[in-house]
Amino acid sequence: MDDSRPIFVQIAELIENDIIGGALPEETQVPSTNDFAAFHRINPATAGKGVNLLVDEGILYKKRGIGMFVAEGARSRLVAKRRDQFQNEYVRPLVTEAGKLGITETQLVEMIREEGAE
Amino acid sequence: MTIQTEPTAPAASDRLGGSRIIAVLRLNFVNRFAVLGLPWMILGFIFVVNLAIWWIIFSSVSDPADRADVSEGLQYSGASFYIFVYMAVVGVQAIAMTFPFALGYSVTRRDFWLGTALTFVVLSALYSAGMTLLAAIEVWTNGWGFGGRMFTALYFGGTEAPWFERFFLFFAAFLFFFFVGAAIAAIYQRWRVNGMVVFTAVLTLALVAVVGVITLSNSWPAVGEWFAVNGPAGVVAWSLLPTAVSALAGFLLLRRATPKT
Amino acid sequence: MSAVVEVSHLTKNFRSVTAVDDVSFTVEENMIYGLLGRNGAGKTTLMQLLTGQDFATRGDIRVFGENPVENAPVLQLVSFIKESQKYPDDFKPKHVLKSAPWFFPFWDADFAERLIDDFRLPLNRRIKKLSRGQLSSIGVIVGLASRAPLTFFDEPYLGLDAVARQIFYDRLLEDYGEHPRTVILSTHLIDEVSNLLEHVLVIDEGKIIVDQDADTLRGSATTVVGTRTAVDAFVADREVLHRDYVGGLASVTVGRLGQAERLEAADAGLELSPVSLQQLIVRKTNVSQKEFEQSA
Repeated sequence: MDDSRPIFVQIAELIENDIIGGALPEETQVPSTNDFAAFHRINPATAGKGVNLLVDEGILYKKRGIGMFVAEGARSRLVAKRRDQFQNEYVRPLVTEAGKLGITETQLVEMIREEGAE
Repeated sequence: MTIQTEPTAPAASDRLGGSRIIAVLRLNFVNRFAVLGLPWMILGFIFVVNLAIWWIIFSSVSDPADRADVSEGLQYSGASFYIFVYMAVVGVQAIAMTFPFALGYSVTRRDFWLGTALTFVVLSALYSAGMTLLAAIEVWTNGWGFGGRMFTALYFGGTEAPWFERFFLFFAAFLFFFFVGAAIAAIYQRWRVNGMVVFTAVLTLALVAVVGVITLSNSWPAVGEWFAVNGPAGVVAWSLLPTAVSALAGFLLLRRATPKT
Repeated sequence: MSAVVEVSHLTKNFRSVTAVDDVSFTVEENMIYGLLGRNGAGKTTLMQLLTGQDFATRGDIRVFGENPVENAPVLQLVSFIKESQKYPDDFKPKHVLKSAPWFFPFWDADFAERLIDDFRLPLNRRIKKLSRGQLSSIGVIVGLASRAPLTFFDEPYLGLDAVARQIFYDRLLEDYGEHPRTVILSTHLIDEVSNLLEHVLVIDEGKIIVDQDADTLRGSATTVVGTRTAVDAFVADREVLHRDYVGGLASVTVGRLGQAERLEAADAGLELSPVSLQQLIVRKTNVSQKEFEQSA
């Protein structure tokens, strides 16, 4: 809870990480808003906003009177979303910068392969 | 958010058992030792010291006539006067310390004053009953066996007064000290040091004026006569007037007072 | 959402000093508010007015829809814990905790017991002999266990160590989650409480200068660091909250920056860093301090 983005966005991201990492499998119940708030020492309303963000995206759904659950297919959708983000936030600037420096596509692929080999 | 809003406002009055006036009464009694224990202990100590003195006098005077003389003299004893001063201090502390505390408990000034006035009445009744009982024992044992006079001193109606007269004397005297103490403390709560300075000045001037008027008009014999005619019960009955004025003044002062930090 | 507190054009004068100056705001139900500001800014006076302990010079206060002054039905829904709370000299903590339930209709005795254990409050020691922290813990316990629908904490933890303060935050959040209520927390330890708050009121020189959602406020400023010329060029037509210059370097705090502006700053070789709530408030109150001095 320390970067400049709003806390509820960070909370949503933490839950997403747990879903992607498998700590929160699909169709399992996620901790309550109050649990999140107590654990991260944040206002429950803020935690609730984070949870609601994921409900709006269909990642979590509400079972009335029980609580929040991870939706079916949530993990694959999150992975797809993160891949898009990866493409936008890392690959695109990478390619742009490479173009500026006159690095060819083959050279770039070679450089990436070298990194992967290490 | 899924948090439900609780309809709090209407439910609260039902949940609070009894009124806040009674709660203030209980608050004044929460430290029982200070209001019910310590005063009796101190009174008991004074009594024991007096008992020792009476014993010494009694032992050194053997002639029955002389002993009656001594007992006659002891009727001016002020030994039990201390208990009234203590209660004036209780009155002061109720305003100086319990008032700011009670306001911290979200008590209204009105409820605080009514609850505290009730406390004064209850304490006066309790202590008057106790002292009336002690006076009866003092009469019955002929001054605890030594002709001592502590609870049947002259201004408490002497040895001849009926129990209800004694009770009334004690009761009214206690009320006077409680409420006057509380009212003076209320002046401080309302106007702080400035209020005390003005009050002391006004009181001094008033007393000087009264003494001056009586002296200049040669009325001291008349004043003495007034005391003699009214007797202890009459004089104490008149004290209810300043007591009532203090009670009202205390309320009016506290109603606009803010405990300062 | 309904308003628990509504204040309009509230002013409080002490002789020549204006402690609260024509202030208007509302407090919504079941939210945690931060009432922040420097010492002497008017925080305590404002809370004294809202709880009927002091009298307004001008303006209108509604608490649960009514004037709180001498209003028992309203006041019994209110708990006001202040750093300067006086206790009768001969009291022990047990006397305080025994009598508190008589005044707070929502008092939870079990919760109070737990808090006494948490804070290791000695019940049988004279209050005069308690340490500053132990004295503060009495207030914190009463404030939490009273569960009043409107609870004020005015600098509740003077003398409490970091561990005890953390216990206070944890218990407050837990209990607030289970029993939502309106909490107004006044403190100068802004960084410690900033994540607990949902809404922030900043008071300075008796005026409310910030009345904003905490999340919005957190992202509402950015510090731009770089060479003096580059920074000056970047911030030229922006509202500047604070400037610092060291040699050829500058560090300037400005308002919220959009995505495009962030890219522009990056292209200009400037570094951007988030501004904490505490820094932001220090900056904001500094600005009005200067303005105040200029106008005086």
